[in-house]
Amino acid sequence: MVQAVESSSEQNRALPSQAKPFSPEDDAYLREALKRCSASTYEAAFQFRKTKNTEHLPAIVLGIIERYVEPDLRAKLKDPDDDLRLIEDLGIDSLTMMEIVILVEEVLQMSINNEELRHLRTLGDVKQFIECKVRGLPLPKPTKFLPIEQIMSIMPIQPPFLFLNEASVSSQGASARYKISGQEFFLQGHFKDNPVMPASIMLEAIGQLAVLFLLEGGAGEPSKVVNPQTIFFTSCEGVRCHRMCKPGEVLSLSIKPKRLKAPLATFEGGIRVGQEKAAIAEEITLTFGYAEEVAVEPARPAAVNGEPTPLAAVVNA
Amino acid sequence: MRKVYITGIGLVTSIGNDVPTVSQSLRELRHGFEVYAPFQKADVPVKVIGTIKGYDADSYDCEDWTYPSRFSVKRDILRGMAPHGLYTYCAMLDAIADAKLAGGDVSNDDTGLYAASGGSPHLLGHYLHRMNTMGVMRCSPLGIVASIAGTVNFNLVAQFKIKGASTGFASACASSSHAIGFAYDEIALNRQKRMFVVGAEDGNVESILPFAGMRALSLQVNPDLASRPFDLGRDGFVGTGGAAVVVLESEEEVERRGAKVYCEVTGWGQASDGYNVAISHPDGEGLRTAMENALRRASLDPEAVDYVNAHATSTPIGDVSEARALKAVFHNGATRPAVSSTKALTGHGLSLAGAMETAFCAIALQEGFMPGSAHITRLDPACEGLNIIRATLTQPPHVVLNNSSGFGGANVCIVLRQA
Repeated sequence: MVQAVESSSEQNRALPSQAKPFSPEDDAYLREALKRCSASTYEAAFQFRKTKNTEHLPAIVLGIIERYVEPDLRAKLKDPDDDLRLIEDLGIDSLTMMEIVILVEEVLQMSINNEELRHLRTLGDVKQFIECKVRGLPLPKPTKFLPIEQIMSIMPIQPPFLFLNEASVSSQGASARYKISGQEFFLQGHFKDNPVMPASIMLEAIGQLAVLFLLEGGAGEPSKVVNPQTIFFTSCEGVRCHRMCKPGEVLSLSIKPKRLKAPLATFEGGIRVGQEKAAIAEEITLTFGYAEEVAVEPARPAAVNGEPTPLAAVVNA
Repeated sequence: MRKVYITGIGLVTSIGNDVPTVSQSLRELRHGFEVYAPFQKADVPVKVIGTIKGYDADSYDCEDWTYPSRFSVKRDILRGMAPHGLYTYCAMLDAIADAKLAGGDVSNDDTGLYAASGGSPHLLGHYLHRMNTMGVMRCSPLGIVASIAGTVNFNLVAQFKIKGASTGFASACASSSHAIGFAYDEIALNRQKRMFVVGAEDGNVESILPFAGMRALSLQVNPDLASRPFDLGRDGFVGTGGAAVVVLESEEEVERRGAKVYCEVTGWGQASDGYNVAISHPDGEGLRTAMENALRRASLDPEAVDYVNAHATSTPIGDVSEARALKAVFHNGATRPAVSSTKALTGHGLSLAGAMETAFCAIALQEGFMPGSAHITRLDPACEGLNIIRATLTQPPHVVLNNSSGFGGANVCIVLRQA
């Protein structure tokens, strides 16, 4: 699934297996470096440095991020969600991101270059990135952020029936937000004097995000381009709604591909409002076809993707 | 030209961190010196500094810093600051409260901020060491803004959302007096309505000890004897750090806000020695011209001056230069004006000195006293012929000069008048 970013993959190397053993001095240094992180962060880092077992990486990275998040926002990391956005949800600005990077570099004994950091928007991006770096795997294709203008230019579905305000698409899946404005035409009748987002529309929104994934992230065959005119709903299973969603609320949508094989693409998807589960679809299947001409997208420079991430802002300063 | 007034003061100094405490120290000649723990090593001949009480910012890690509990400073503010950045931040909050400024009075197009500090050799050394040992990309992202000269204006302008004029001044020990002078001009010339002027220094090992190499520091081990400007036994200055914030406002703003006023700033002057990179002119030529320029700008005769807060740092050469300059300006110097150096109490604050001592003069003018020149047991004969007051006088001064001199022979004189 993981597509390599060509420019970075060759520089990326696994940690040398013959690295010098972890000395008491290294341990003292590690303790000092992580003195403001939780005890479990230090413990994970200690184990990682001794054993090089990458299972410890998520705990280390999460612990380091937590240390730099303002205390009143740390509750969000208690039950960490890979979709948590570094800036919007955790209040991490570009300079704090650099502090995190430097501490991660020190603790994991690796170096990260600016170019690699431009597209890290969510906690999941960061974890996956570190994992690839440490294991010497090719870096994942960066998450691409799509503002509404870009979504509208890509999607065959348009307002007033488009239920995505902004989206992020990576090779692993996609996430999006939609704020129920209260002006949606169907809310006038659904229900009388009691506007509630229809469950069918919530399912539609999940489906729209899956459409966006197919058009922006591809359907697993890099050489082929999905034709927007060919995507239609096929089936869904295991749909459950957990709460009503009303005007003013922001729907956080996410989908992950389960199977991609033309002409069918099956996803799992869900909607949250804040930390509350609003709806899930165990399976939602779309049918799609490829464009007739084989058009290979030219490699684009990384910086043109959407609005710059905070790191890009620093790098470009 | 518009009139300019001092309407607010914030202080973090070796003799107190608020106006009432500082006023009491000045009146009672209580010094702020202590034997400084980091100097207590065999190879450090200097032992004493003017210490900052209630703060501890000696660690390289800003999250270790402690400060009075009435302040609360977030990590994302501290991380871009030097130790003296913390002092200025707190002094700024106090100055704003003292002047009773509302948020809109602080952040607008007509309010600016001028600042002076020598930067933070302490943090700069730490970051350069880190860069040299751990690699270029492991430098703290905020290492530069926390440590280079200008750090005070970078931080305060951003944190207090200053929209008007802002810059920093680098004339060493004359810096924050230059800042006051040019801030006065901004208001007098109708370019700004209000200016914050900030002087500050770390006052720690790295900002003070390098002066030992030029033999400028006192080697006295007794805190009661270390700083004694004009005394025959003086053997160099005693270093100190801290922060001083002075709020200058136009007469229109003072009227509009009904602001309390410490004193009027009536003018300033500057002149340079053109003599030596580090040594003051033996006759105090530049300082004499600076005082003459300042009095001319304020349209005052030398006879009108009641009190001079001398630059006198307690170095053998500098104090005599200033005494000669004073004698040249004030022909009746034996009787008027009263002269003292409050560095006998605070130590020498380097870039902090000008703003701190202008604040002291403003307090003296408002409260009606003239602080004595402490720790003189035998007056240096070269300083005779001046009315150097050894005890605090309780009569109110009407016109006060504050002198500052910096490396390269930069000299500034600020004229203040009872409001």
